[in-house]
Amino acid sequence: MAIVKVENLTKLYKEVKALDHVSFEFEQGILSFLGPSGCGKTTLLRSIAGLEAPDGGAISIADEVQTSVEQGIFVPPYSRKIGFVFQNYALWPHMSVYHNVAFGLRLRKMPEAEIKRKVASTLELVGLQGKAERFPSQLSGGQQQRVALARSLALEPRLILLDEPLSNLDAKLREEMRVELKKLIKKVGISALYVTHDQDEAFSISDAVIVMDSGKVLQYASPDEIYNHPAHPFVASFVGHSTLVDGQVVGVENGHCRVVVPEFGGATLIFPASRQPTPGVPCKVVIRTGEIRLSPEKFPEGTDNVLEGLMTSREFRGGLTDHRVQVGSKEIVVTSHKLCPMIRVGGDGAKTFLAIDKSAISVIVAQ
Amino acid sequence: MDLSSLPLSRSGPTARWNSIKLALRQGTLVPLLASAIAGAAIISPVLVVLWRSFTTGRLGFTVGLNLTNYLRVFGDRDILPMLGNSIFYAAGAAALGTGLGAMLAWIVARTNTPGKALVELMPLYPILMPPIMKNIAWILLLAPRSGILNGILQQFFGVETLVFNAFTMAGMIWVFGLACVPLGYLFLLPVFLSFDPSLEESAYIAGSKPVSTMLKITFPLAVPALLSAFVLNFLRGLRSFETPVLQGTPGNINVFVSRVYDSMALEFNTGLATAYSVVLVLLSVATLYFYVRATRFSERYATITGKGYRVKVIDIGPWKYLTFLAVFLYFLAGIVLPFVVLIVVSMIPYYDYETFMNFPANAVLNNYYTVMKHPSFVTGLYNSLVLSVTIALVTVLAGIVMAFTIYRTRSYGTKLFEFIGTLPLAFPPLVLSVGLVIIFIGTPIYNSLWALGLGLFVAYFPYAFRNASGSIVNIHKELDEAAWVHGARWRHVFFKITLPILKPSVGGALFYIFIEAIRNVDVAVLLTSPGMEYGPVTLFEYFRVGQWAEAAAGGVIYLIILIVAVSIAKFAFKMKFSL
Repeated sequence: MAIVKVENLTKLYKEVKALDHVSFEFEQGILSFLGPSGCGKTTLLRSIAGLEAPDGGAISIADEVQTSVEQGIFVPPYSRKIGFVFQNYALWPHMSVYHNVAFGLRLRKMPEAEIKRKVASTLELVGLQGKAERFPSQLSGGQQQRVALARSLALEPRLILLDEPLSNLDAKLREEMRVELKKLIKKVGISALYVTHDQDEAFSISDAVIVMDSGKVLQYASPDEIYNHPAHPFVASFVGHSTLVDGQVVGVENGHCRVVVPEFGGATLIFPASRQPTPGVPCKVVIRTGEIRLSPEKFPEGTDNVLEGLMTSREFRGGLTDHRVQVGSKEIVVTSHKLCPMIRVGGDGAKTFLAIDKSAISVIVAQ
Repeated sequence: MDLSSLPLSRSGPTARWNSIKLALRQGTLVPLLASAIAGAAIISPVLVVLWRSFTTGRLGFTVGLNLTNYLRVFGDRDILPMLGNSIFYAAGAAALGTGLGAMLAWIVARTNTPGKALVELMPLYPILMPPIMKNIAWILLLAPRSGILNGILQQFFGVETLVFNAFTMAGMIWVFGLACVPLGYLFLLPVFLSFDPSLEESAYIAGSKPVSTMLKITFPLAVPALLSAFVLNFLRGLRSFETPVLQGTPGNINVFVSRVYDSMALEFNTGLATAYSVVLVLLSVATLYFYVRATRFSERYATITGKGYRVKVIDIGPWKYLTFLAVFLYFLAGIVLPFVVLIVVSMIPYYDYETFMNFPANAVLNNYYTVMKHPSFVTGLYNSLVLSVTIALVTVLAGIVMAFTIYRTRSYGTKLFEFIGTLPLAFPPLVLSVGLVIIFIGTPIYNSLWALGLGLFVAYFPYAFRNASGSIVNIHKELDEAAWVHGARWRHVFFKITLPILKPSVGGALFYIFIEAIRNVDVAVLLTSPGMEYGPVTLFEYFRVGQWAEAAAGGVIYLIILIVAVSIAKFAFKMKFSL
């Protein structure tokens, strides 16, 4: 059983395609929608909740059709049995924490004694015991966040939707809440759809990630797969910490792929090929900046993927240092940890050798 | 991410049918229906006025579509003087009121005038006094032969010429101009209070002295707000009823409103009345257009931010006593003097100058007994109380429902509702009541409070509607959506989320409409009949037939009721006082 199934979902705002034939299926766990603002991820989430009416396509939750433009089906949001945590929490300011959480239970005509028990246990679950009589304005951002979560969880929804729930918190609190949120969702055992523009958040919290841009799904895979083998240049650049260069596949043998990069002065790179590109096709080569060694001297004979360049500048970032190295006509950024021996490379303008680890390279073949 | 922007534009029968289905599923049919009913009530008198203006014949009979009425209106030799009078009167009163209000606002906000707490409130008290009472009091003061001020000049200073005359253009502008002051004050006060001080400081640094800074920086930046207040006061002048009828008509100064009234009340010629009305409406629409332009223009002057600046108070030296005097004089002219005159007149056996000056030696309470025993006053008072409370409740609720429909549901026709909800602003209340008279005459409703109630509803709906729209737009839409996804239907959203959050502004609107309705003359004057009196109209009639002392006594009773209502609202509901 798929908890969510989306088929050919399309949504137009005037002439702009907010969603462009989006299709995917998700079994269970936590699924993140990752992308820049305006990529359609929030529209997708709101369409699943029934807050937006799409112009085409269908949505099912737990194998029940909720929206289908073609069949003329639209289940209103109040009947979808889902939870929704809004970016700005959307707590009702005129109700206490207790009444915020009890709101949906009351609408289900649950007996008052049972409501009381349910609210108490949910507040305890999110760590807000003793705060039931407070009003939203008397709570901190993190506490408001928990109330919003409790309000949804109390209804025991089939699915919980979270729209950038941590973006209004400060950086330190955000990391704490991220860990806690994941723990909580796993503990309750509910499936969740999670919208974010922060790749660290998406990677750490979810079982699967959908990267979106301009209303299209670019890649749907596990966090590991998306980081190590981005399927689209946009995914590679958005996921970050990598350099993209144009190349050409020259050969595939023994599970290894060789590409020539003109921008590196025609240097050849070799790396394990996860996909099997045809020799001769043009491609994009993705090189992750954290997996490159630097040295003032030549690397020993037989080292793979050695390049030669000139150090142009360095940016000290505390635990990490970014080195900008001019290789051929391309400037690439190499990030080094302060414990790495290669920190002792020459100053600006010094001749520098680079050895790119095989695992740091992946290839995207243009369609 | 607008829920209301459903695929209207994207045609195709499937899409259209689906979105209708979505609207039904959202359960928005009930608010949609309620809004449609309110909209129909608003638009029908408007359409009737338009239609009637193109027909001739007695009531109940229609003789074809023709331009007879317009030919008569525009063929009238007096049309141009009347147009001139209308504009001159409205502009004069607006200029006087707005200018005075702006000056008071500047004094209160920017100078070290002593007694600030008192000075701040003084310009607001005159709002309490119903316009009809101001007119009565000022006519008593300024009447040429029997007036108090001319009498004093003659008795104590031996001035034989009649200096003051209430029944002139100057007299009209003076009385209505005073009534325009509070609006000017309320528009300009926030501008002067939230003025970014760095704008003035940079002028000082550039070498400008305080006075030239004031003239070159402060006042020019207040121009947009000044313009808005002026145009709005001009509009009020065009629609005002009491001053033109009580002061203009006796002095043979006709404006459109008084001509509409005369055509209905004296000639009973609905075709002519509606034709004059249409001209008046066109004038109002043009004014409203300027108002929209003026407010849009003011957005370019967005120097007034929401940041809580503490404006610098300017030390104006000994001038501060003069400014205090100015505020105090306005307070005297705005409420104290008229009020004292009314109280005295209400307690003397009858009004003439000698009897007035003999007070308090001849004080009696006769007039109060007479008035309280007079059935037309007692029913009028009762009706106005009951009706204004009911109308305030109904109008405010309907305004919220319509605003909710427009901004919070997936409904069709929201643009149309917005138009209809604002439409009565362009229609002077007297014109609306002309439409209602035409609709209801001959039916049992004409002799009931229903017609009057409907008239008041239509006249005050735009205030309720605009108030509710402004507040609903400010409520985060996600608060509604959070309720939707957690199991609420429209009625739950409306009654448990929207209405409770709106509570403060609902209170203000209720109170405002109550105060306005209970002293209304211009809607009620054509819709009352013997046995179905309305308090303020009764006072109006008393005054017109010369029962001045009774009119004054009734007015004092009214004012006491209003003051009690304001105090209850202020202390019981802790309501903030604003327009």
